[in-house]
Amino acid sequence: MPRRINITRRRLLAGAAATGLAAPSIVRAQGTGARAPLKVGVLLPRSGFEASIGQDCQRGVDIAPAILRSLGLPELTVMNADTESNVDVARQRAEKLINDGAQLLIGAFDSGQTTAIAQVAEQKGIPLVINIAAAPDITEQGYKFVFRNFPTAPMILGDAFENQMELFRIIGSAPKSVVFMHVNDTFGTAMAKGINAVMPKFNVPYKIVDEIAYDPTARDLSVEVAKAKGSNADALLLVSRLNDAMLITRELVKQRWTPQAILSMGPGWYEDQYLKTLGKLSDGPISFVPFEDPNKKLAKSLQAALAKAYPGLNLSTNHVYTFEALLIAADAYKRAGTSDPKGLADAIRTTNITDNVSIGPGIQFNAKGQNDKLKNGAIQNRGGKLATLAPKAAANAKPEWPMGSYANRT
Amino acid sequence: MAAKTSASFVDPFIRIAVSLFEDVSRQTIALLGILLASLLIVPWLVNDYLLTVLIVVLYFAFTGQAWNIMMGFAGQLSLGHAIYVGLGAYIAAVLFARFGIAPWIGFLAVIPVAAACGATIGFLAFRFRVAGVYFAILTIAFAEFARIGFDHLDYVNASAGLFLPVAQYARNDLWHLRGNPTMFYYVILAAAAFAFVVCRALLKSRIGYFWLAIREDEQAARAAGIDTFRYKMAAVMISAVITSFAGVFYAFFYNNLFPEQVFNISRSIEIILGPIIGGIGTLFGPILGAFVLTGLAELLNAAMAAIGFDLPGAKQVFYGICLLLVVVALPEGVWPWLARRIGVSESRQ
Repeated sequence: MPRRINITRRRLLAGAAATGLAAPSIVRAQGTGARAPLKVGVLLPRSGFEASIGQDCQRGVDIAPAILRSLGLPELTVMNADTESNVDVARQRAEKLINDGAQLLIGAFDSGQTTAIAQVAEQKGIPLVINIAAAPDITEQGYKFVFRNFPTAPMILGDAFENQMELFRIIGSAPKSVVFMHVNDTFGTAMAKGINAVMPKFNVPYKIVDEIAYDPTARDLSVEVAKAKGSNADALLLVSRLNDAMLITRELVKQRWTPQAILSMGPGWYEDQYLKTLGKLSDGPISFVPFEDPNKKLAKSLQAALAKAYPGLNLSTNHVYTFEALLIAADAYKRAGTSDPKGLADAIRTTNITDNVSIGPGIQFNAKGQNDKLKNGAIQNRGGKLATLAPKAAANAKPEWPMGSYANRT
Repeated sequence: MAAKTSASFVDPFIRIAVSLFEDVSRQTIALLGILLASLLIVPWLVNDYLLTVLIVVLYFAFTGQAWNIMMGFAGQLSLGHAIYVGLGAYIAAVLFARFGIAPWIGFLAVIPVAAACGATIGFLAFRFRVAGVYFAILTIAFAEFARIGFDHLDYVNASAGLFLPVAQYARNDLWHLRGNPTMFYYVILAAAAFAFVVCRALLKSRIGYFWLAIREDEQAARAAGIDTFRYKMAAVMISAVITSFAGVFYAFFYNNLFPEQVFNISRSIEIILGPIIGGIGTLFGPILGAFVLTGLAELLNAAMAAIGFDLPGAKQVFYGICLLLVVVALPEGVWPWLARRIGVSESRQ
């Protein structure tokens, strides 16, 4: 026998009030898709030899939720996993995340680890959005579920020379000679080879008068810097890491040599630790790296969020591209309207985010899953901050050229 | 006539198989049978994540077994076994990626290269009496030399890494080692079982006894008429060849090779940790050590996730403490202690 429901005036009023209170949240929920948060597995090398970079990338993850919410994008449930800077562990963690219900993966800074993860993602049909990894082959495998919003190594090199040429046009002069100093590890040697191969294509106005390779773990680079100084070159072209960048700077000060410019094509010279450790001595070097476009609205939001969460930290490449990977995930989830991996992958393939953070026209993927429209920037250290000099569309400052003498900075 | 011929062909194998177990207790054989049967049915019982963990366990059991031949049996400490993994990986991968040659055929090309590499290291060391810690340094030097060399070898893409083509495989292709984790699991299980049997056979053979004599007192062994140079060379070369298969497996399982990772000294250390924890010089030690190490790492991950503790590096600290405790409490390794507890005969030979 059906139960009879007595509708009294009090019940009716209470029901109306409840409906009135709930209505905005229902409408809001419908606006964002009204669905469960997307489970995103984030794989980063937060321990092991790449720990400092992995932890820096993690900051990009930590500040993302509030910004994504403010953009009206659906909620994400972030599932963190530490790859321990190890390929085997990266693969195991990817399997574990998928097993635990991750519907999309993000990671993993290192090309080897990323490739191991990419295979798992491809075999399981779970989309992987690569935050940072530059090996070109990753997106040359014919993968259908792998997407990369980071420039490949050749793109980075090409853009570095394009930005140099733009800088020389802006300042109306250029160095006639440079000394090329680079670390002799895997990264440095690969970059040196690439630079020597790519440079002729850009008709650069300077000549490399000497090439000095050195050990990145060296405790003293006085001989190398003395040799560079002795070449009487106008500028220094460098591929360094953090510690040797600081050592070289100290030697330049000690040996009283301020070149016209320090042009860095790698990490080290713009990193927070470099800026904080060297203070005024850190001013001047120009780095050519994948970076944020400070003029973009979202870049400003990201800067503000970082400043709030981690006061004193400058926005870095690691934050920018890891954040954008989450942005891509949330955007795809919103448009796909489903957490079905295939639907998500299809949505990512048709991504067209113009309101983004990094330099370039925005985030779109080609048929191979590579964002080939990304552009790098030329950034200069200024008073502990980073000013973007090129490309023109992203610039927020004019270059200081030649760089100020080290002698006048005490 | 034909039946007689086939019987005479099979007889030696049967004799070898029987001799492998002739002085083994029934309890040990039963234990082995249970272990093998459990490992065979595992893919039906666990998910892909656990299967991947088991693949890593068996990989380290296999490489640990190979390393054990040199250190555990012949007493020669190698800290550069990554060189054989790297050579196996690169040669098989290049032959497959550039010429479409199946990894099993590729391994035939790997064998002489790995053996020659082992022989070179062995010759330099044993001919010029480089022993003990200096021998260990020599093995590290060769691994580093290979890493730097491959970092500059354009033919294998140098430091940019060598990639094998990957796709979603609708079916497993054992011949080309293209397939899902289950296929790789059975491949590495078969390899680990093979390495176990080979090590057992070697240990029970004339050469095995010579190795043990050399390990215990090389001068006494020489005085007893053992050609120590020859048998140490054999240990290095056999160990190198077996280890190189791990490289072939690694290349086709992970599908990407970077000299910085494959030849890195950390890889060599990973290889030796299993036998050290499990028990150097024992047959079960490397297997148990691999299970303990990988199992411990995964347990720590699970425990930290369960209590919501997400501090990078904390796992490694706990891991280090656990290993320290094992080494201090059980200096011979876990297996000799466990074998005594469960009444199984095998201990350090």
